[in-house]
Amino acid sequence: MKVTLAMKPAAKWFIPIEAESIVPKNFLSGTDLRVWRGNRELRLDEVFSVSVEGDADRAEDVEVVLSGDTFRLKRVGEYLDAGKITVLGGIGMHCGNFMSGGTIEIHGNADGWLGREMAGGTIVCRGDAADYCASGYRGGRKGMKGGTVEVFGRAGDFLAESLAGGTVIVHGDAGDMTGAEMRGGTLVVHGDCSRPAANMKDGSCYVYGTARGMIPTFKKIGTVQHDGRTLIRFSGDLANRGKGNLFVKGYEYLD
Amino acid sequence: MIVKDAVCPFCGCLCDDIEVEVEEGRVVAVTNACELGTTKFMGEKRMKNPILRVGDEWKDITYDEAVKYAADMLLAAERPLLYGWSGTHGEAQCVGVHMAELIHGVIDNTSSVCHGPSILAIQEVGHPGCTLGVVKNRADLVIYWGSNPIDAHPRHLSRYTRYAEGFFLENAFRDRKVIVVDVRKTESANIADEFIKIRPGGDYAVLSALRAIVQGKADTIPRTVAGVTREQLVRVANLCKSAKFGAVYFGLGLTMTQGKYKNIRNAIELVSELSRHTKFTISAMRGHYNVYGSNEVNTWMTGYPFGIDFSRGIAFYNPGETTAVDILARKECDAALIVGSDPAAHFPRKCLEHLAEIPVVQLDPYPNATTAFCNVQIPVAVTGIDAEGTAYRMDGVPIRTRRVLSSDYLSDEEVLARMYALMQEARER
Amino acid sequence: MTELLVKNACVIDPLRGINGETMDIAIRDGKIVEEVSDAAEVIDARGMLTLPGGVDSHTHICGTKVNFGRYMSPEDMRAGRTPRRGAMHATSGYSVPTTYGNSYRYSVMGYTTLLEGAMAPLEARHTHEEFTYTPLQDTMANTLFDGNWAILEAIRDGDVKRVAAIIAWTLKAVKGFGVKLTNPGGTEAWQWGKNVSCIRDPVPYFEVTPAEIIRSIVEANELLHLPHSVHLHCNNLGTPGNYSCTLGSFGLIPDLNEKRQTLYATHVQFHAYGGSEWKDFCSKSEPIARFVDMRPQIVMDMGQVMFGRTTTMTADGPMEFNLYRLHHEKWSNHDVELETGSGIIPVIYRRKNLVNSIMWAIGLELALLTKSPWQCLLSTDNPNGAPFVKYPEIIGLLMSKRYRDAEFATVHPDTESRVPLPAIERELDWHEIAVMTRAGAARALGIQDLGKGHLAPGADADVAIYPLKIDEVDPSAEYQKVIDAFSRTEYTIKRGRVVARRGECLVHGSNATLWVAPKVSDGYDMGKDPDFIEKFDRYYTVRMSNYPVQEEYVTRNRRIETEAEL
Repeated sequence: MKVTLAMKPAAKWFIPIEAESIVPKNFLSGTDLRVWRGNRELRLDEVFSVSVEGDADRAEDVEVVLSGDTFRLKRVGEYLDAGKITVLGGIGMHCGNFMSGGTIEIHGNADGWLGREMAGGTIVCRGDAADYCASGYRGGRKGMKGGTVEVFGRAGDFLAESLAGGTVIVHGDAGDMTGAEMRGGTLVVHGDCSRPAANMKDGSCYVYGTARGMIPTFKKIGTVQHDGRTLIRFSGDLANRGKGNLFVKGYEYLD
Repeated sequence: MIVKDAVCPFCGCLCDDIEVEVEEGRVVAVTNACELGTTKFMGEKRMKNPILRVGDEWKDITYDEAVKYAADMLLAAERPLLYGWSGTHGEAQCVGVHMAELIHGVIDNTSSVCHGPSILAIQEVGHPGCTLGVVKNRADLVIYWGSNPIDAHPRHLSRYTRYAEGFFLENAFRDRKVIVVDVRKTESANIADEFIKIRPGGDYAVLSALRAIVQGKADTIPRTVAGVTREQLVRVANLCKSAKFGAVYFGLGLTMTQGKYKNIRNAIELVSELSRHTKFTISAMRGHYNVYGSNEVNTWMTGYPFGIDFSRGIAFYNPGETTAVDILARKECDAALIVGSDPAAHFPRKCLEHLAEIPVVQLDPYPNATTAFCNVQIPVAVTGIDAEGTAYRMDGVPIRTRRVLSSDYLSDEEVLARMYALMQEARER
Repeated sequence: MTELLVKNACVIDPLRGINGETMDIAIRDGKIVEEVSDAAEVIDARGMLTLPGGVDSHTHICGTKVNFGRYMSPEDMRAGRTPRRGAMHATSGYSVPTTYGNSYRYSVMGYTTLLEGAMAPLEARHTHEEFTYTPLQDTMANTLFDGNWAILEAIRDGDVKRVAAIIAWTLKAVKGFGVKLTNPGGTEAWQWGKNVSCIRDPVPYFEVTPAEIIRSIVEANELLHLPHSVHLHCNNLGTPGNYSCTLGSFGLIPDLNEKRQTLYATHVQFHAYGGSEWKDFCSKSEPIARFVDMRPQIVMDMGQVMFGRTTTMTADGPMEFNLYRLHHEKWSNHDVELETGSGIIPVIYRRKNLVNSIMWAIGLELALLTKSPWQCLLSTDNPNGAPFVKYPEIIGLLMSKRYRDAEFATVHPDTESRVPLPAIERELDWHEIAVMTRAGAARALGIQDLGKGHLAPGADADVAIYPLKIDEVDPSAEYQKVIDAFSRTEYTIKRGRVVARRGECLVHGSNATLWVAPKVSDGYDMGKDPDFIEKFDRYYTVRMSNYPVQEEYVTRNRRIETEAEL
């Protein structure tokens, strides 16, 4: 089954819409779903032109395709456990929160908190991801616990903050405090980033470019070969009695 | 008439030893307060009555009309923003929370542009702190990090640290060491025993290095960290460890620079580390006199200190998303009520562009920068001058501000209660 | 005039010796009366279990420390969020809910009176502000005196009357109810990062021991004729082998009061540990219970631990720091000048953890081994051992051996060799539960004469009607029915109004605050004592005139005057 949701133009286009009901399994029983624009509850078809092709018995066989100006659409794919969501443009905050299975593919950019606290499944973002991609929640002690997030563009600040499990790959550069508070999992940044793995406890962080503002409390262990690259291996963060691994191609201290 | 032990409604020190002389309904003299406090007590020219913008003109309106305008505006909004609150008393803040809950709006206070990052850090690692008197009576080491008390909290030094006497200090001025950490040599640095000059953006690295040194891992630290030599770092770490009671006070130099709440988290973790060796505490130099009160009120009523979004009925909290600066910059609200703050004087231009496009009502005794963005402004009594109510000092001590003179102005609480009553009526209908 | 008649109630009212009698309860203008007119509104209780409104004699719900627990825990707030609905405001939180969350959940469980376990005098205004937003219960605050400088000095000088005078002035100033000692002396030592090891270890600088503090303050408390006894959180909380320190503290207490105990020892589960380190950690509930059995002057509460996530918070700063070092979780501490301190950390009690399993067993053992339910009240030291919403499960465990065995089968396997619980056959009955959750708590707090904890004419019309018939339910086997019934009243009546019905709160309500103003002679009025005033002005950072809590902070003022022997 393929459900296409085309965003309608709205007068108050700037008020964000929360649409955690947009997960494949909900469409197994029809399209009578509700979303919220600010404090107003709206029917799905008040916000989208809805069309359904084919049918399905299980969420795995459902694909939801979002088109139009969806960059203010929040919480799409929250608690996703099966099926696929394809976003043709950009997507708003908290896409794929808490997801445990299934796939989200975003052709444009993703706003903040993409895949926050996710436990499984796959997110692919063809554009850039804003701050807190694959991160944890305020006050929480564990961020993402499993699954994969792959961003082909750049990532913002606090990428994979408190990462506890799973894999995060960013093909472009990442921002400041990349992998802060990591306690597990694997983070790979193909480009440059700033202050990677600050306060890390455990896990592995790879920076194929340059680590700017390198944290001074990582201990240099030596060089390793990784995927055809020569990387410098550090262990830390000593300030946090950490036992994590940080691999960088190059690094600069703020000395 | 002289009012003794008045409470200064300016900064988070909430000095409560002010003497205010009042003659014919005016404050004529202020004793004990700093310059900032004195100016506040002496007052400026207040607005006389509520005003409504009609085209390019201001029209005088009654309180009833103004209150009705605000209630209608908020009821009609899909995502109303209720912002400010740090310049008013707790009782008014409570009405604000009830209001946000009723109309499913967002309520945020000025923490989101000052110590919000400190709160986020505390939510990750906690907060080993104490009341100001504990520091005054015991601390033999005080560190001001990214804060400049001489400018922003002028009496902090005389009441609690550098120039204060202390029960357990024989000669407090001599026995109490003061360290200032900053990116430039501030006035406060001039009265310190040690000054640590950090390269801009280097606080986090220096804090990490200190944590490692306190743990005995100095050998892995590079020779300089963000412009600070390893020798100085080791010396400071030793000063900290050998103090009987150390206290860190940090300001916006730490919360609002690169890394923001991670800086504060690192500072707190340094203090937790030092607590394994000696007594150490850390506290934020809160700005507005009752910004901490606003955090407290919000917390007991909604569970969260600031940035609370009731759009969906339940409280949702996510600073960076549900905070006023972010909402305005992203144009995510369609009406705003401003109470006890002046966002137009502090917010980025992008935010003000949206503020100019949506209906805005402000409660404030004075015309201010935000007035230019208002559709309606309602003058109110000034808490601590002609209104009384609860305020929380930067260390969490609640103090009831005094009314030093009487006026015909309604308090924030009274105006808000009227609005709330109208809204309740409308919602019950 | 409003009248209400509860008909066909199956009443257990221990303070009046009523045990399961079917009767009517007449209510007029918020009070229980002999009879009402025919115009009275009628509630047919249809034989359901009807008790005086619940009284929690030790809980942490309002004030600086509780609010800091909320402030630092947005992850806790995510649980239990409800929107504004009818008369109910929005709520958030699980282990440290918002004030409305506390009030509604307690009300739904039939609780109408709460004692906040620890209030720092300097921050009292905060506690009272939160009381105002806890509208469906009457409230009172235990006031902390464990590290009060003026008192430590008076004790050093051997002047018990001065100790009493300082307590009198402070209680009146801050609108406090009772005298709380948390780790006496330890909170002052903690302001140097130190602690006291047990009751003979002197406090730095002041050179008085916890034993001297406890004894002097107990004596002072009785000189003031306060309704409640001294409320003690013993030294050494949470450490292996601390039971001997606990027994040593209990042993200091003479029997000084005919109407109630002389010492209320709180959350004793945390103080009943054997062993010398975590490796040989074990239960010492038996010696504690035996000791208390022989001493009517002591009443304790359980401090039961239940498995799951919660937040620990106490004025005992050094204890929380030790917990922080164990768990390496987030840690907050807040020392209060010249008075006391506090600490907070979140914890998770796990069945798989041996120490946690033993702690769970000890709380139950204390309640089951102590002969008189009047001497061991039900508590979790909310939220330290567990959030109060776990009370119904605890009631279930106390009433059913079968339930205990089923739970015991899921805890750490080594627990069996460290605790006496599996061998205890006792199952508490309805009457005993009523004592532990209201009558006994009211008597221990000394508020039965103020109309709390019973349903005699003249009493406050606080009534809890539970959807359960005691002659039709066997709690030993049908414990789930017991848990369900105590989780959600059919009706909770507060001050003569139905405030909660089947899980919904129906009115906004407004709390009354009970506080004590001891009358002392002029010579003992600390407000006029030059030495007290001088030290106050020099060392506090708040002016003495700004310290007292104004009348504005008390919604319904229930000032209790006592005639002090001063």
